[in-house]
Amino acid sequence: MTPAPLRLATVDLAAYRANLTSLVERMAPAQVLAIVKSEAYSHGLEVMVPEAVAAGVRWFGTVELEPALRLRRAGLGDEASMLAWQLGPDEDYAGAVEHRVDLGVSTLDQLEAFAGAARASGGVALLQLDLDTGLHREGCLPGDWPALVRRAVELRDEGVVRLRGVFSHVSETSPDDDRDALDQFTAAVARAEALGATFELRHLSSSSAGMEHAERRFDLVRMGSNGYGIPVTEGVTAADRGLRPILTLSASVVRTKRVAPGTGVSYDYTWRAEHETTLALVPVGYADGVSRRAQHGVEVTIRGRRHPIVGRVAMDQFLVDVGDEPVEVGDEVLLFGPGDRGELTIGEWADRTGTIPEEVACRIGPRVPRRYVGGVA
Amino acid sequence: MTQDALVTVDTSALEHNARTLRAAVGDVEVMVVVKADAYGHGAVASALAFERAGVDRLGVADLDEAVALRRGGVTLPVLAWLHAPGETFERAAQHDVTPAVSDLAQLEAAARAGVRAVHLCVDTGLSRNGAVESEWSALFARAAELQAELPVEGLMSHLANASPAEDGHQAAAFARAAGAAREAGLQPRLLHLAASAGALVQEGARLDLVRFGLAAYGLSPFADRTAAQLGLRPALTLTAPVTTVKRVPAGEGVSYGYVFRPERDTTIAVVPLGYADGIDRAASDRAEVTIGGRRYRVRGRIAMNALVVDVGDDPVAVGDEVVLFGDPARGHVGADEWAAAAGGITYEVVACLSPHLPRRHA
Repeated sequence: MTPAPLRLATVDLAAYRANLTSLVERMAPAQVLAIVKSEAYSHGLEVMVPEAVAAGVRWFGTVELEPALRLRRAGLGDEASMLAWQLGPDEDYAGAVEHRVDLGVSTLDQLEAFAGAARASGGVALLQLDLDTGLHREGCLPGDWPALVRRAVELRDEGVVRLRGVFSHVSETSPDDDRDALDQFTAAVARAEALGATFELRHLSSSSAGMEHAERRFDLVRMGSNGYGIPVTEGVTAADRGLRPILTLSASVVRTKRVAPGTGVSYDYTWRAEHETTLALVPVGYADGVSRRAQHGVEVTIRGRRHPIVGRVAMDQFLVDVGDEPVEVGDEVLLFGPGDRGELTIGEWADRTGTIPEEVACRIGPRVPRRYVGGVA
Repeated sequence: MTQDALVTVDTSALEHNARTLRAAVGDVEVMVVVKADAYGHGAVASALAFERAGVDRLGVADLDEAVALRRGGVTLPVLAWLHAPGETFERAAQHDVTPAVSDLAQLEAAARAGVRAVHLCVDTGLSRNGAVESEWSALFARAAELQAELPVEGLMSHLANASPAEDGHQAAAFARAAGAAREAGLQPRLLHLAASAGALVQEGARLDLVRFGLAAYGLSPFADRTAAQLGLRPALTLTAPVTTVKRVPAGEGVSYGYVFRPERDTTIAVVPLGYADGIDRAASDRAEVTIGGRRYRVRGRIAMNALVVDVGDDPVAVGDEVVLFGDPARGHVGADEWAAAAGGITYEVVACLSPHLPRRHA
């Protein structure tokens, strides 16, 4: 018997490409920027980027600069542009100039530092201006906007920056708030143009706004969760959007035991067997990304049938009540996946554990090996 | 990974904790559990610190974790108890790892692989790993047949901490298992049942060896006693610099969903840590951090890579160090407070920190 894996995260690269290709087609003539922050939502940055290029993506958003530099140094996604906008106090602006990474700049200090790095090396800073239209994280507040734009125009005229783009983020709070953000964005772009700026790219929308509101796409749409097949709009499934979840989390049954009525299980005995039943031990726990909130109604799938998690999820393991089903050591346990084999989708898993699918994906831990299928790049 | 966010692990605190715990439990062997990357503290560096502090053994969940310790130069005995179906234990033999086995198939495989010794794992009520009582006689009998080539060094189980009465039932069941093992002709030198909580409060549960997890990292396993009261020092501090400061007018929303709308004009500071770094989104709008020794509340929803702190009218600047949690004795918010804010447990707060966060051991 070959050892079955204790735990496994399978990434369907063909589905990832299909999702992106479909998004590229649907957003045209706007371009698609694939968000690959947080190690591509923990799917694996260096693997996902070449697949996205193969699917026709020519823009990547790494959010932070370091992963963009890592990709450039590895020669990955070389034919694509990269954008980072969450900048630290001691950011590597020289690296951004050298490796042709666009920076979304929110403050005059950042702008001067970026331009200074370009001036020092004789290169050009690929500049995008980040406007705060209400989210209040990064982004230039409207009051500071004219000064930032004026300085950017001067630096462009000096030849040290190329004014590539202008963008903002919407909060997805309510249609009114988002419409307000759109109006602010449009007004700020007009104001910047009146001050002499011209932008190659304007972008405001991420996944859901890009799907739902053609008028908010402008020149580029930043696609995060949709690419991974996990639409974030409440009540909208991947299938509704013509997308497919690309991540499957599975494990192997490592032990089964028949227990008597009244048997308590796991820490604190939060669940007791009502009847004689079979318990299956599954070797993934919260250190692997299975939330401790995954009990009371959260089900896993074994041999095509759903079974409830019972008792507390521990750091490394949890128990499943499989009743009188013939479950055996070595059987595959599906926690979530695309849903084809009776398993919960990642969206359903997130709903039942009180969070969002992005958090579920990002919190899959380091003990879970990633297996990639369907890759071409 | 996030700019300049840092997990700092004070290895002298790990050593201090190990020594303190050893002194607390008296003359029994001490195992420190370093599974799940040493509860997020960095497995190899933590294991080496515990080795320096003179602990007797280390415990991990699975063989991958054990092998990683060996590759990192850890020489202490290592016990691993969670095994894949069909595990051959060849890696255990090759890297001198002691498996705890729960059934006949694992026992036979361990013997075939030529591991140096095993522990037998029995279920005394937790219903997880371990042979159930009806399986004991067959397991012990076969282990006795094999013991010339495969010594049984220990017998172990794990408490559910459900209640003193339930733990008492488990201790009684464990005593029955030990008796049955002896009757079968086994002489396991190390009987072990208790983890941090059991070892500290139930002298009778200490037996020959106690397994410390959470307490070794300087975190309290008890709701009603702090680490400081136990003489322990939290070893892990999570910090990040402020990356953005901005003034927000009263009534405007902050971060996704605009969960937070300040009632009066205020200053917010953006911190480049989010749920992708292992910060539980459930702590949104509740948890607190410190900047310059003062406490501030996280406001709005924690995003994938960022969270927002309301600093009122204080002069917080870009680059200021934010301590998310650390040692309360140094004025930091405790990991237990983050657990409470998220509705979880302290273990999760540290063990779920992203592997991509840089860790510095000092």
